[in-house]
Amino acid sequence: MTIVEIATDTATVPGPATVWDGISHGYIPAEPPRIHPSVVLHCEVADDVDTVTLEVIRYALMNVNLEHADLLQRLSLSPVVMQARDFQTSLLTEVADVVFLGAGVQYFSNQNALTIKYILEHRGRDGIRDGDMFLCNDPFIGASHQSDVSITAPVFVDGKIFCWLSNAIHYQDVGGPAPGSLCTAAEDAFQEPMAWPPTRVVEDGALREDLEHLFVRQSRYPGMCRMDLRAGIGALEASKHKIAELVTRYGAPALKHVMHRVLDAGEQLFVERLAAIPDGRWSHRAPIEAALPGDRNTYFYQVNITKLGDRLIVDNEGTDPQTGSINLTFAGFAGCVQAALTMQMLPEQAGAYGGAYRRVDFRLVPGLLNCADPPAAVSSSGAYSVMSNLNVAATAVCKMLASGNDETRDLILGAPTPNLSTLIGGGVLSDGEQFIIIESNGLMGSLAGRASRDGVDVGGEWWIPDALGLNSEDLEAQTPFVVLTRELLPVGTDGAGRFRSGVGFRETLAARGIQGAQMFVHSNESFPRGIGLFGGNPGSIATCRVKNATDLAAQFAAGRLPRILNELNGVEQVVDYKGAPIGLADFDVIEWTSPGAAGYGDPLLRDPALVLADFEARMIDHDAAARVYGVVLAGDSGAVRVDDVATSMARCTLLTKRLDGHEPGAQVQPPGGARRVGELLHVVDGRWWCNGADLGAEDEDYRRTALTRDTPTRQLGPEFDSVDGEMADRFVLREYLCPVTGYRIDTELIACPERARG
Amino acid sequence: MSYAVGVDIGGTFTDCVAVDHAGRVHHGKALSTHGTSPAEGVLRGLTQLAESADETLDSLLEATDQFSHGTTIGTNLIVERKGARVGLIATRGHGDALIMMRGQGRSAGEPAATILNIRDTDKPAPLVSRWDVAEVIERVAVDGSVLVPLDEVSARRAVTTLLGRGVEAISVALLWSFRNPTHEQRLRDIVAELAPDMYVSISSDTAPRQGEYERTVATVINSYLGPASSRYLEELAISLANHGLRSRPFIMQANGGVIPVQVAARRPVQTIGSGPAGGLAGTADIASRAGHRNVIATDMGGTSFEVGLLVGGRPVLASENIIDKYTFRISHLDLRSIACGGGSIARVDPRGGGLQVGPESAGSVPGPACYGTGTQATVTDADVVLGLIDPDRFLNGRMSLNRDAAVKAVGTLAEATGLSLEHAAAGILRVNGHNAATLIRQRTIEQGLDPRDFTVYAFGGAGPVHAFTFAQELGVKKVLIPMGNGASTLSAYGIAASDAMQVFERECTLPAPVDGSALATVTADLERLAVHEMTAAGFNGDSIRLHRSALGRYAGQFLQELVLPMDDGEVGDVTAKALEEAFLTEYSRLYGKAALSAFHTPEIFMIRVSATVELGVGTAPSTSGDGGAQRPSRPVFWPGDNEWTDTAVYDGPPALGSRIPGPALVQLPHTTISVSTGWQLNTDGTGNCVLAIEEEQEH
Repeated sequence: MTIVEIATDTATVPGPATVWDGISHGYIPAEPPRIHPSVVLHCEVADDVDTVTLEVIRYALMNVNLEHADLLQRLSLSPVVMQARDFQTSLLTEVADVVFLGAGVQYFSNQNALTIKYILEHRGRDGIRDGDMFLCNDPFIGASHQSDVSITAPVFVDGKIFCWLSNAIHYQDVGGPAPGSLCTAAEDAFQEPMAWPPTRVVEDGALREDLEHLFVRQSRYPGMCRMDLRAGIGALEASKHKIAELVTRYGAPALKHVMHRVLDAGEQLFVERLAAIPDGRWSHRAPIEAALPGDRNTYFYQVNITKLGDRLIVDNEGTDPQTGSINLTFAGFAGCVQAALTMQMLPEQAGAYGGAYRRVDFRLVPGLLNCADPPAAVSSSGAYSVMSNLNVAATAVCKMLASGNDETRDLILGAPTPNLSTLIGGGVLSDGEQFIIIESNGLMGSLAGRASRDGVDVGGEWWIPDALGLNSEDLEAQTPFVVLTRELLPVGTDGAGRFRSGVGFRETLAARGIQGAQMFVHSNESFPRGIGLFGGNPGSIATCRVKNATDLAAQFAAGRLPRILNELNGVEQVVDYKGAPIGLADFDVIEWTSPGAAGYGDPLLRDPALVLADFEARMIDHDAAARVYGVVLAGDSGAVRVDDVATSMARCTLLTKRLDGHEPGAQVQPPGGARRVGELLHVVDGRWWCNGADLGAEDEDYRRTALTRDTPTRQLGPEFDSVDGEMADRFVLREYLCPVTGYRIDTELIACPERARG
Repeated sequence: MSYAVGVDIGGTFTDCVAVDHAGRVHHGKALSTHGTSPAEGVLRGLTQLAESADETLDSLLEATDQFSHGTTIGTNLIVERKGARVGLIATRGHGDALIMMRGQGRSAGEPAATILNIRDTDKPAPLVSRWDVAEVIERVAVDGSVLVPLDEVSARRAVTTLLGRGVEAISVALLWSFRNPTHEQRLRDIVAELAPDMYVSISSDTAPRQGEYERTVATVINSYLGPASSRYLEELAISLANHGLRSRPFIMQANGGVIPVQVAARRPVQTIGSGPAGGLAGTADIASRAGHRNVIATDMGGTSFEVGLLVGGRPVLASENIIDKYTFRISHLDLRSIACGGGSIARVDPRGGGLQVGPESAGSVPGPACYGTGTQATVTDADVVLGLIDPDRFLNGRMSLNRDAAVKAVGTLAEATGLSLEHAAAGILRVNGHNAATLIRQRTIEQGLDPRDFTVYAFGGAGPVHAFTFAQELGVKKVLIPMGNGASTLSAYGIAASDAMQVFERECTLPAPVDGSALATVTADLERLAVHEMTAAGFNGDSIRLHRSALGRYAGQFLQELVLPMDDGEVGDVTAKALEEAFLTEYSRLYGKAALSAFHTPEIFMIRVSATVELGVGTAPSTSGDGGAQRPSRPVFWPGDNEWTDTAVYDGPPALGSRIPGPALVQLPHTTISVSTGWQLNTDGTGNCVLAIEEEQEH
């Protein structure tokens, strides 16, 4: 049972020998940080600030951070910053508590804090002075991968560190063997871009040009790299002045008072929401294919959240040992967990999340895939392990929220897709110039089904809530590709549920005007990984197909405009989940999908009127309505309606099949005093209850009692078909069914022991 | 007698202004009639206007040389989803661009707090049903060359299918059509052939900018509004002609200029946002007469606070426009707003403890507590508590406010915060003023300018009463209340005062060193087009004035858009060099020299030509009254002074030459001007009220 396992003392506490120093293990600061004695902090806090001034200062500080982000965006050159919003800004206290986070990447939540704490602990000996700025992209200190480069500045008042400002940008290229710097084939960090521990690039207000030169030298695109670096520095400089003006006007103690109040308010709301949830432990575990190109093994990430009173303890027990390039360091992992918590539990807090972080303890086992030790390879985490861990962490949080009350259930956003699809590659244009392509349109995403509403079609990803996809024209202007198609995926088996997920989309790209190219990062999954909540279907699989030597040029010449790969003749490459780089020549064509997220609740419980609404929006056809939802649509195109009788019969047939031929019973209202967990399951007098069926004692696993049905993922629907049948068939979707009604209580992806390797 | 007439249909009222040959300004106001035909409200407003000018409706219109009209009908049609059923024709494989909204449909144009609140936000309702999207076989490449010619069979099938589905208007938005519009033009011809009366918009004509999503949105909105908008404009033109108007009306656009009605009927998308543009256009006219070249125009109403800028005498334009989360790119006056106004609700953050104001608004229903129907404390309630608004004289006495209800609502907050009633009310105004000042500061600093170098113009129902709060916050030393009457009809005046204008833009790729002859070609083509279109719109070629500018950025810097002025004269290498230098100068002015890149190439990516014909109001308007009647003074608790101060009160606009020292209140029919301690109110030569810090006042 993964919904609730009532608290036991299972949280792992690392032994005393674990040294989280950023060298032998990822950096975790001491609590409180061991700040070098030469560092003097400005800790004076006003006893009180009147309620009006409090609000004026709060609003001003929040806007300093928002304007910081706005300026960074305008100064930057990287498309991933300008449009994908793959960056973050934050305002932190003198000891690096996050006061405000911007609307950019949410899993950067704690990374600037880690970097600053490292600086406080390790850069104090040389002095931290007014006018200094530090660059850092070290994943073992404060970045999720080397491409995310932060610039951090202390703000001084009266010669003491008053607060910190920081920004982090995903750079287009910071070096390493693969264009775009996501090295999927790297076996360790020495085959990756250079990691920069906190390095003083600006000293006494002056840019260290030697260091800038060294940093920029690593990149294939030094001009863009330099512009982004200077954007980070310039935006920080402007923000520092704004803080200084506020200090002059209101006084440092008043500002610090407000910072603390903001932190306290976030903490208080977090604690209030926790109070509605019983103590317990919630886990989620999900697989990923291939640690390196060519690898046929599968590996698991796991996140366990234990709620004890007003605190959460997060551990990673159950995760496989670090290997290949699918690792994530503490900095990245903690960011994923914190984002999964705050984006769901604090929707009103507008980035003031630092108070909530105080209530989350990490007790991690080092050396695992999501708490990797040096020198693990992590540069490609931005396309693989981050998204996997966001999904796993968010699913665990959703389970926790579903165990509370209606208010906490309403906070559920569902898990993001674990398989953010992206293409990253580079090559040589016909004129001999180099080019790079970072296809970030996967960020147009999909939002999952929730407890009381559908998700959002191509609705973005909640961990990067302001991302903007590139127009096809913008992509064509920047890269030598013709976008043949960009179209919504239909509503189908993937993401189905009582409340379905938003759909993803499919894009078909043709190379045009190149001598040659290689696509280093791509995804062609074999089985679904994003599991639905409480009976919802899994989200889509990410796919990628390639045809070489196509007849596209001939078709163009003949006046034809193919829209999908199947309309082209050519030689189709077999693309593994994480294969070797894909070689491309002119008029070769890639077709990839940006997957939809998972559904919520049993699809057979979906209101038929919602299925009809999907039909009327041209999102679903008759076949899928019947096949996936058991809803029979009748009438011609002008006046389609739900055939209620036929729908009842169809659903009854599907439920009977689930119940192995037994006629399904009706749903039963739970008795008074029942505590709901998820959708159908309740706790009644200390026992699991579902439509009158007793599924055992609360402290036992109800799954052992519930009816189950296993279906190989490829048989769930054509949407889950895979070219790699052997890999796909290693997993089944297990439904836990109500023995009375046949409705799903929950589902789980189960590795078949006889087939699974790794 | 002759008149220039401006009419502004707002959400609630239709305002009418006439300026006669002597510069006298006459007003008329009637309830808008969106429910039936907006033209009815216009005629009622005009009838009132005629009465105020001692004319009949027919005699007024017969004497009107120039009739200009601004309408929110387009905005209303979109917000209420009452536009035409639009069929969209797209390039094969790209019909979903509109519904995908670049993945930003949930968040486009929203403030950060809303963007981060995933739970409570969603995409807007679609503008076009997915069933009504048809794709055609054709493909143009990035350079405008044809990869696949338009397939006539698929084109006709697409049009026929849409017609068969019963669409009421068609939009055509094909990839790269702004580089090569022939396929779109052919499709337009096919629609004309198969359905001659069908309203058609093509993207290369409507919004020729890179980015198929934004171009599609603009084109779809144009068709969505087209039929109803055309019907309304035609009905209005006929009705006005029947009442004696001899000239064709002009229609206000969001870019601050007017266009003849027949052009507006083809381009209704240009009218989105034209109401607020009227206010800025009015500001521009008054500022030019007052000699103010740098102006912050602020409009505070019941729910929102809008800010626009005049820099160097010219309104700042922007490209990106968002309505109901749909983004499109058409040049318009850059007005930005936040939820901040008289109806903004004050509350205590239950955890943070701060006294927050907005963004929620009580609106007009239930309205502020003092309206008698609301219960929550608002900014207006704070005004009543402080004595800034006389509950018996609100809206010239047309509406009576309940002071007790205001006291009760603000008192609840006072209790929660531990403040006195007066301090809580003053706190509400301070927070509200700070929020407003933040938007102003962001707008000016974004332009690399200091707000203290600007004159603030304050209008809107809640503007003049609160201007002192944000002026003090910004350190601004001069605030002008245009036209001295609370400027309730400033938008209508601005519409009357606007010149005819069309903006023409062409995307280009001219990297440094900019090729002077290529620059000349693009500019000349665009200017030819501008002259052609303006001439076709009925203007005499000699009257057309062209104003050129170029837009620059570092290559690939897609969010950057620096407007670079171009001289009149011949375009060539000298112009090109000047533009490069102007780019570097402007970039370093905005972001510092360190931000300049020696490694990256600046480029000119767009040429913009504004074609104007001077219309406007020839004579300076004179709006002063006979002098406000002094009423008994009353105690006011002035925020900042934090004590009750006996305050002089005047009813009606001050006479020319008036000088009213603070603290004082000037009660006008639609607002109140707050003259706080240390400030003084003067009137300028044309009746504008000027608030100035006493040592800064003009003598």
